Amino acid sequence: MAAILNDAQKIRVLIAKVGLDGHDVGARLVARGLMDAGMEVIYTGLRRTPEQVVRAAIEEDVDVVGVSILSGSHIAHLSRIRRLLDAQGATDIRLIAGGVIPREDVAVLEQAGVSRVFVSGTSLSDIADYVGRCGLRVSAG
Amino acid sequence: MSGKLRLEAERWHREVRDPSMQAAPERRPAFVNDAGNAVEPVYGPADLEADGFDYESHLGFPGEFPYTRGIDPAMYRRALPVVSAYAGFGTPQDSNRRYRELIALGVQSLSIALDLPTQLGFDPDDVMASGEVGRMGVAISTLRDLELLFEGIPLDTLSAVGSTANAIGPIVMAMFIALGEKQGLDASRYTVALQNDVLKEYVARGTQIFPPEPALRFAVDALEWCVRHAPHWIPITACSNHIDVAGAGSTAATAFTLANARCYLDEALRRGLTIDEVAPLMRLFLNEREDFFLAVANYRVTRRIWAHVLRERYGARDPRSLQIRIMGYAHGPRETVQEPLNNIVRITMGALTCFFGGLQDLRCASYDEAMNLPSDDAVKVAIRTQQILAYEFGITATVDPLGGAYYVEALSNRMECEIAAIMERVDALGGALGAMQRGYVRNTIAEGASRRQKAFDRKERVSIGMNLFPLEPESRPATFRIDQDVERQQIERVREVKAARNADTVREALADLEVRAREGRNVMPALLDAVKAYATVGEMCGVLKSVYGEYEPDRTF
Repeated sequence: MAAILNDAQKIRVLIAKVGLDGHDVGARLVARGLMDAGMEVIYTGLRRTPEQVVRAAIEEDVDVVGVSILSGSHIAHLSRIRRLLDAQGATDIRLIAGGVIPREDVAVLEQAGVSRVFVSGTSLSDIADYVGRCGLRVSAG
Repeated sequence: MSGKLRLEAERWHREVRDPSMQAAPERRPAFVNDAGNAVEPVYGPADLEADGFDYESHLGFPGEFPYTRGIDPAMYRRALPVVSAYAGFGTPQDSNRRYRELIALGVQSLSIALDLPTQLGFDPDDVMASGEVGRMGVAISTLRDLELLFEGIPLDTLSAVGSTANAIGPIVMAMFIALGEKQGLDASRYTVALQNDVLKEYVARGTQIFPPEPALRFAVDALEWCVRHAPHWIPITACSNHIDVAGAGSTAATAFTLANARCYLDEALRRGLTIDEVAPLMRLFLNEREDFFLAVANYRVTRRIWAHVLRERYGARDPRSLQIRIMGYAHGPRETVQEPLNNIVRITMGALTCFFGGLQDLRCASYDEAMNLPSDDAVKVAIRTQQILAYEFGITATVDPLGGAYYVEALSNRMECEIAAIMERVDALGGALGAMQRGYVRNTIAEGASRRQKAFDRKERVSIGMNLFPLEPESRPATFRIDQDVERQQIERVREVKAARNADTVREALADLEVRAREGRNVMPALLDAVKAYATVGEMCGVLKSVYGEYEPDRTF
């Protein structure tokens, strides 16, 4: 489990739902889990566009954007979010993803600049550990 | 006999079980089910006696109040659960091909899986639809698509047709009415069975378009239309499924679902309909995927609760009002992406709970549903699963074979009390809408989801091949994918339909729709005109949004 951090070091995470699917139990669960692990978490609510997600990420000055998607349109949406973040100069914001994502698409997403894809069955503490390390690396570097 | 059974049970614990525990403990310190209750090592007559169990008032005979043992005296000796399929992907032509294959395999009832843009009222050329057309289901943008979908499939050759349309339920119903007319069929000749349970969308399934109050009235427009024109249709199927899976657990989910069903009934009564006109049209879609016996108990006891609520709180007299029909979608325990063929076993167990629960209508999930849209092979196995259970192994020979089982009845009695307590809490918060707006339902779901995740992480909640006995590398079949060209084809077809239709007729129908919505009148007649004029789902929803407003996403977690 990630160490509980003091306020000055708190990692900021945006949990985002893109695409049209309305299944956000996983997204809310991860949001709660990361908050319990001591991070600052913002949740976008359902059905945000990549543009809305990127705007929120920059306005909220987050370290990590976690996208949950179950509708099957993950490649298009995640690639677009990465491109928009980079275009805004936010290359240091890590992009991670979870949801229903076929294994053969993981490499494609990593190529497109997604740092890590969490497939179903991942434990909350594994996600919190990874995000914790992500944030620390960002602040250190 | 009262104290004797209790004394006997105590003696067994003291003299037999406890000494054996000292010799060798059980596998776990405690056995707790998904409802959060301890499961006893064994159940016997003393447990039922403690609940005040009475055969006649708790169970009765099949086809008699309170219908615990089934709504029909002969149940599966007369009619097996309807073999239903939930299907749709790609273009209407792709799905039509799948439908014909399903019917050839023995499917009796079809429910259209709609793609997300359609469910959310977006036409395929809407920017919000981009990348999602024809993916999670088939796009039905205009009546033309439904015509193609059912080409060569007369509606009266099926036991029922329907869809999971919720926010747009009445629009899909209007399309089916129009399609029936095109096929030369009077509404009395076929049956439309819709989900159209919009209230649960706000707490679990997530395809809401309008704010809850107008959405509720809109859904009940379809119910009211059916009372007057097609009283054998099923305009609303109130669903516990999505609320349970989201985290609430089947006990709380059933309580919330009954509260939602009451909300629809109350709105219909407010319009001057009588309870015996409305209640027989309702159906429930119940679910339990964590525990075999909780599932059987849930289906059986929900019939009892429904019968009591309808008789005592609504004064229903018609037996059909008291006999709630239940459909199920057999998944069994969580399907895994890992080693997907194992899901066939899970789905079979889920289906078995539906047979033991006395359900009317059943669809079996496909073993690859956790990953993608079902492949041809997986769909076939799903249908065969239901047919094998129905015909091969003596499961359907007698009515309610688990009735009277100490464990099942003890679970049922406890569940009945818990459901009643949650329903009272919902009532105190102002009914389904109040409980939703005050966050009670969301909180129950969030707490349950977190509890389940923790149990999973601790391996108390087990998925074989996932968190227990995992294999590396995983074996899995190729993903069934949708042709990328579907979106372009769908956009093109809508464009052609728009070019060929009479623009004035569309404009008039949409104007009438707006007036009726604004005046709070039933919008079904206007929807029917609009649908027949080939107005698009996006156009109709656009008009309704301008009157009803739009749902604002909830950002709490």
